Amino acid sequence: MSDPISRRNFVKTGATALAASTSLACSAPLVHVAGQEQTIKIGLVGCGGRGTGAAENCLNSSDNVQIVALGDMFPDRIKGSQRTLSKLPGYKVNDDNVFTGWDAYKKVVDSAADLVLFATPPGFRPIHFAYAVEKGKHSFLEKPCGVDPVGVRKVIETGKKAAAKKLAVVAGTQYRHQTSFVETMKRIHDGQIGEITGGRAYYNAGTLWARTRTEKMTEMEWQLRMWIYYDWLSGDQPVEQHIHTIDVTDWAMGARPVKCVATGGRQVRVEPEFGNVYDHFTMDFEYPGGKHVMSMCRQMANVDNHVGAYFTGTKGEADVYKAEIKGEKPWKFEGEISIAKAYVQEHADLIASIRNGKPLNEAEHVAHSTLTAILGREAAYTGKSLNWADMLKSDLDLSPPKYEFGENPVRPVPKPGTERA
Amino acid sequence: MNIPFVYAGGQEQTLKIGLVGCGGRGTGAADNVLDSSENVQILALADMFPDKIEKTRKVLKAKDHPGVKIQDDFCFAGWDAYKKILESGIDYVMLCQPPGFRPQHFTAAIEAGKHVFFEKPVAVDPVGVRKVIEMGEKAKAKNLGVIPGTQSRHTPRIKETVQRIHDGQIGEIVSGRIMFNTGYLWEYPRKEGMSDMEWQIRNWYYFDWLSGDHIVEQHVHQHDATDWVMQAHPVQATAVGGRQMRTEELYGNIFDHFCVDYEYPKGVHVMSMCRQWKGVPGEVCAIFTGTKGTAYIHGPKSGTITGEKPWEFKPGPKDVGPSGKEINGQIFEHRDLIASIRAGKPLNEARRIAETSLTSILGREAAYTGKTIRYDDLMKSDLDLSPKKYEFGPNEARPVRRPGSV
Repeated sequence: MSDPISRRNFVKTGATALAASTSLACSAPLVHVAGQEQTIKIGLVGCGGRGTGAAENCLNSSDNVQIVALGDMFPDRIKGSQRTLSKLPGYKVNDDNVFTGWDAYKKVVDSAADLVLFATPPGFRPIHFAYAVEKGKHSFLEKPCGVDPVGVRKVIETGKKAAAKKLAVVAGTQYRHQTSFVETMKRIHDGQIGEITGGRAYYNAGTLWARTRTEKMTEMEWQLRMWIYYDWLSGDQPVEQHIHTIDVTDWAMGARPVKCVATGGRQVRVEPEFGNVYDHFTMDFEYPGGKHVMSMCRQMANVDNHVGAYFTGTKGEADVYKAEIKGEKPWKFEGEISIAKAYVQEHADLIASIRNGKPLNEAEHVAHSTLTAILGREAAYTGKSLNWADMLKSDLDLSPPKYEFGENPVRPVPKPGTERA
Repeated sequence: MNIPFVYAGGQEQTLKIGLVGCGGRGTGAADNVLDSSENVQILALADMFPDKIEKTRKVLKAKDHPGVKIQDDFCFAGWDAYKKILESGIDYVMLCQPPGFRPQHFTAAIEAGKHVFFEKPVAVDPVGVRKVIEMGEKAKAKNLGVIPGTQSRHTPRIKETVQRIHDGQIGEIVSGRIMFNTGYLWEYPRKEGMSDMEWQIRNWYYFDWLSGDHIVEQHVHQHDATDWVMQAHPVQATAVGGRQMRTEELYGNIFDHFCVDYEYPKGVHVMSMCRQWKGVPGEVCAIFTGTKGTAYIHGPKSGTITGEKPWEFKPGPKDVGPSGKEINGQIFEHRDLIASIRAGKPLNEARRIAETSLTSILGREAAYTGKTIRYDDLMKSDLDLSPKKYEFGPNEARPVRRPGSV
């Protein structure tokens, strides 16, 4: 059933890489050595749009950064990534450092890379991250870092190991590195809107891409190619996309939510090719002190879009995305509000932290933000009021029985109030 | 020629009442009105279907109240039942058929010079809303009493809480959160040979043109509370919603969940969530937060304020019945209306409930379309859900809405 060509390539490249990795098994974490700036070698796992973008951002972020290895499940995805990355001066990827298939991530970790960027579908993140830390590599983890509580706990555990090994871990929640966000949050936390009373967050976006299924594609390959539409791969919109605004919310509130009640469903993208995810959600997150934040997201065409996060207080209101405060002490961020710069800044901060020997470690923070998003999703899927602390302990595990091409029955689209298989 | 019933020269006249719509709520309203005031009689019943009338008659008979005076020839069924009951010598009509009929029935009642109690909501589309506003003005000119079944407005516990909000006890309002998360209701499976129209009316809850969808039919209570607390209508609304559990044909063309982000003047937002999902916990609430505290209007803490000046409602002697329990707002609303009629100063809440029904419709349409919709634009809209013909026979319902498609 599986694609014979890509399988053969995978076995061949796999064998080459395995031989190479033994000589590199004892690579130590890279640190700043006696005033001299060492070249940082990076590897990319997951050559989709965001992965390619992350690699480009990383190369542009700091001097003396090279990309030396690429990995993806599919050769065609690697080619797409190479078209963009090969134009950059830091591109130093030899053909035998290009890996495809199920083990490609191991080959990239085992390559000469010091820092590995993980940008495959988030369902794989906990496994990939664990391997990277085991092998002593610094990590950049695209958000989210998991799709279920089992994965979230694994990331937290791995993050602790990374700390013990002085390995850096930065997550792709880039707003944490964006000046306009940092400045606004500082003012919220300093009391410029008084005591926070609540807020609202939106990720009302349009529809995303879709692929065409070919006859020879196995179910597993189809799901991987259409990963945003499968819960076990993307975690659904609150986890995959709205996580940005959810992370901003947890940040502003200075806490994780206590519990969540939600609604959601699948009203527009109802065709089977759109897997088993919803197309809209609204979450009522309750934070400590009985403070509520309404969190709404949808992916629909021809509707009004809006992405933003707003927090109200006893003395004003903050618009975080516009970096503006209204009320008793109005303020507006004077600089440029640039998400493009933030995408680069997070890598600059990551690399600087590696070089100065004080590695950033954002593993637990992004794991907890991911859990908040999972909490919202599960509150909608089940119709129940769910507690964050219980969710952190939950055994919910969306991973498939086997990581191989072939059949892979997915869970049905959730119907609240009913048990899911 | 009927003339409006008034209190005449210190002598209390008997108020003669007719009920249009013999469902659960209509029968409940009849029960409530009998308990509300002295010298009231229920004389006549009307419904589309004779079996519904019989059922209500039985329930009212069992109440064993001297005011129940329903003769066989004061029971009217069919499409014209609401007209016939207006000619039966009643003073006060209670309009409790599915809300899609309300504007039409209200128009006939005001033209016939009757005082009106009408159940919420009072319309399912902007065309109906405007009709109710227009007829409400006519009622005023005719000195007729009109109140809707949004009983919170007549519930002492809630009235005092809202008064305190308006007096500044929670400071300036910064946000609100309202919910009507509940389970499934009843349903009426189609019987063989039943026309589209009969089945839709029997199973009215699940058709947009009859109920307005559950956000309008049920959650309107919290929308009314919100408009009341905010002393305004929303400026605009953005919403999501869908049909995730009740997907069978039995459930017509309505959604089973909504969540609306209402924006009120000064940029104050109210989250409005409602769902009818079974097997999950419910929650009904209306809670408003201000710069100095939080007020609880609906829900388990109804009648409470927390914050700088905490307060809790304590029922007074007038607020409780013989059993010591607080009197239901559904009794107070009739008591207030009848007292106002007898005092010659009839209450008229037609405009208010019409405008609040539009608040609910705004949330529904924002979810149905995926668009951010302005209240003022919707008020002018030509949206009209009424069927082509009011008769038994074929009547195609609109397909379930998919946001983003026309």
